[in-house]
Amino acid sequence: MQAFNYNKQILEPIKSLRGAPREEMYVPGHRTCAGCGPALNYRLTAKAAGLHTIFVGPTGCMYVANSSYLCTPYAVSWIHAQITNGGAVGSGIEAAYKTLMRKGKYDGPFPNVIVMAGDGGSVDIGLQAMSAMMYRGHDVLFICYDNEAYANTGIQTSPTTPYGANTTFTPPGKMIPEGKTLFPKDPPQLVIGGHPLVKYVATTCVSYPLDLMNKVRKALNVDGPTFLHMLAPCPKGWRFDEKLTLEMGRLAVQTGMWTLYEWENGVYKYSHLPKTYKPVSEYMKYQGRFTHLKEEHIAKMQAFVDEKIQRIKAVAVEAPIPTPKQKA
Amino acid sequence: MAQEKMLSGCAAAAQGAKFAEIEVTASFPIRPYTAIMMELARMVANGELDCEFIHGEGEHAQVSIVLGASACGARAYTGSSGVGVTYAFEMYSPVAGGRYPLQMAIADRTLDPPGDFGSEHTDAMSCRDQGWLMGWAASPQEVFDNTLINYRVGEDPLVMLPQFVCQDGYFLSHIPDKVILPELSQVREFLPPYKAPHPLSPACPVSHGPQIRPDQGAPMDAQRAMTFLDVPKVIERAVADYNAIFKRNLDPWLEKYQMEDAEVAFFIQGAHANTCKSAIRRLRAQGLKAGMVRPRWLRPWPTEQIAEALAKTKAVATVETSTSYGGATRGGNLIHEVSATLYDLEKRPLLTSFMAGLGGDVILLEDFYYMAKILKQMVEEKKTRQKVYWVGFEEEA
Repeated sequence: MQAFNYNKQILEPIKSLRGAPREEMYVPGHRTCAGCGPALNYRLTAKAAGLHTIFVGPTGCMYVANSSYLCTPYAVSWIHAQITNGGAVGSGIEAAYKTLMRKGKYDGPFPNVIVMAGDGGSVDIGLQAMSAMMYRGHDVLFICYDNEAYANTGIQTSPTTPYGANTTFTPPGKMIPEGKTLFPKDPPQLVIGGHPLVKYVATTCVSYPLDLMNKVRKALNVDGPTFLHMLAPCPKGWRFDEKLTLEMGRLAVQTGMWTLYEWENGVYKYSHLPKTYKPVSEYMKYQGRFTHLKEEHIAKMQAFVDEKIQRIKAVAVEAPIPTPKQKA
Repeated sequence: MAQEKMLSGCAAAAQGAKFAEIEVTASFPIRPYTAIMMELARMVANGELDCEFIHGEGEHAQVSIVLGASACGARAYTGSSGVGVTYAFEMYSPVAGGRYPLQMAIADRTLDPPGDFGSEHTDAMSCRDQGWLMGWAASPQEVFDNTLINYRVGEDPLVMLPQFVCQDGYFLSHIPDKVILPELSQVREFLPPYKAPHPLSPACPVSHGPQIRPDQGAPMDAQRAMTFLDVPKVIERAVADYNAIFKRNLDPWLEKYQMEDAEVAFFIQGAHANTCKSAIRRLRAQGLKAGMVRPRWLRPWPTEQIAEALAKTKAVATVETSTSYGGATRGGNLIHEVSATLYDLEKRPLLTSFMAGLGGDVILLEDFYYMAKILKQMVEEKKTRQKVYWVGFEEEA
């Protein structure tokens, strides 16, 4: 079978924040909370992707708070998907453009198709559709904007909610003092682990905008499915002062709670690795969701993170700002 | 040149999709509809059909994939059976509410328990109130016809609604019969390429499916309901064009069999109508003026046409091939609709219903004779003893 020629526009690297596009594709006027991490994720992603983009928005905060009452902040095409099926709707869009281009009904270049799903829509109820999209090899960028809970419905635990978090489905109590007892799923590893057509996966965070925008561009330049896991601090869900959103992201990286890396054709590259890691308590102390935890719980979290850091040290290759491939 | 072929209901559906030049399809295996997808897969593999064939990871994904494709302006097609139809249920309202005129073939299969392979209409009947056009065929030829007619009606700018094109599993889906395959040029004349009014495209940014306020909900519901007021004239125009282009003689709404002088009538959907017609010929030979009305559409329900067809009869029986547990008659679904249809007639026929053809059971000629006996009894006694009879479970009439 002949490979499809996507004839994509190639997005050039963004070398500095000053050099980022001025145009906003995610405009003000939405109804997200003050200090919303996911909204910032969206803004940076849309800016990096540009006008030639179609977003798929499964149900979640970024649907409910953004598209309220027929007002939408998207200056590019956007479609709502159910919380279950971002990957499937994205697949259908990509398939349609393939046929339409082949039949001469659409001239191209191939649109950037981006699924912007929350953690639930990515690796909980949306896992099946996301995995199938990766497996089938659709040219879609699937982004998991991870605010570590079902926040829109009133902060219920999701598979990426950290151990020890107080959510409305994991309230701490006499019998269960730590609140959430489980450790989180690892979304990028789920994607890397079992989808042979995936060539590029990366993690990023709103606190590192240049890193984020270039990873978006790099992912979009790849022909085939790509995955980005974006940490999106949530003042309401995590219960921190809304002016600290970016600080939370930075502290997550500095304590090892979050790591920034790329995985490209089997090779890992890390960026912004701290020389010495701060203790996780430095990150947790700002957040109301952790205030009920006792010493032993924090120690358990520290042990979890320490183990992760050991693993990184075994493979880590430091990398500068990710560089989207130039047109060959 | 048009050619005649022996095709099963599934093969006829696949041919219909091919002649409609579908652009994206999504598959997932479940019997008996799977044979449609096997046919389409073969056509794509050997270059007969230029279409993206996507292996969905379940029925929910199948419908989600074709929603995405339809939103971009592609003509999209999928299908399912039984629990597959109900697994995708979440998606039926977004597809209809988004006004995506994609098509889904349903070859009926019983729902679980207990994992019976047989045909029963409950799977599709459970989806009847989601805003889709919908109706049953009674022959492979009609499956083919309905595939094209449904796309034409669904894609009409006045309509813009998805369509369930239903056929009985096995009885129709797997039994070959003669089908006339037309010229592609004729089909193109009947069914122009689909043009989405507001496609999801980078060329002109649009938002599909933003949230609404509660006070915007009722108007949207009303708008969808109002659309169904326009659908009948679009169907009538489409069927008239179909008959003219393909030299056919389809009634847009009903198949009426021996209804000119019928005193008792069976009201039945789908392929069991074929056995019903055989029974009627024998019953008439014995002196009973029996007839049959078979609706070609369930949504929109042809209220006036059915009322007119049944008005002169003395007794009517709906043959229920689906369940409505705990409903008004504790039986099936059709009697609810037929009751509402006949209620305003000055002189209403007596009405009862028969639960038959469930769980894949064949409705035998003997079953129709049994039903006729009860209809005759109703006419003689001028009353309805029971609103529902479970055929094969009742004491002798």
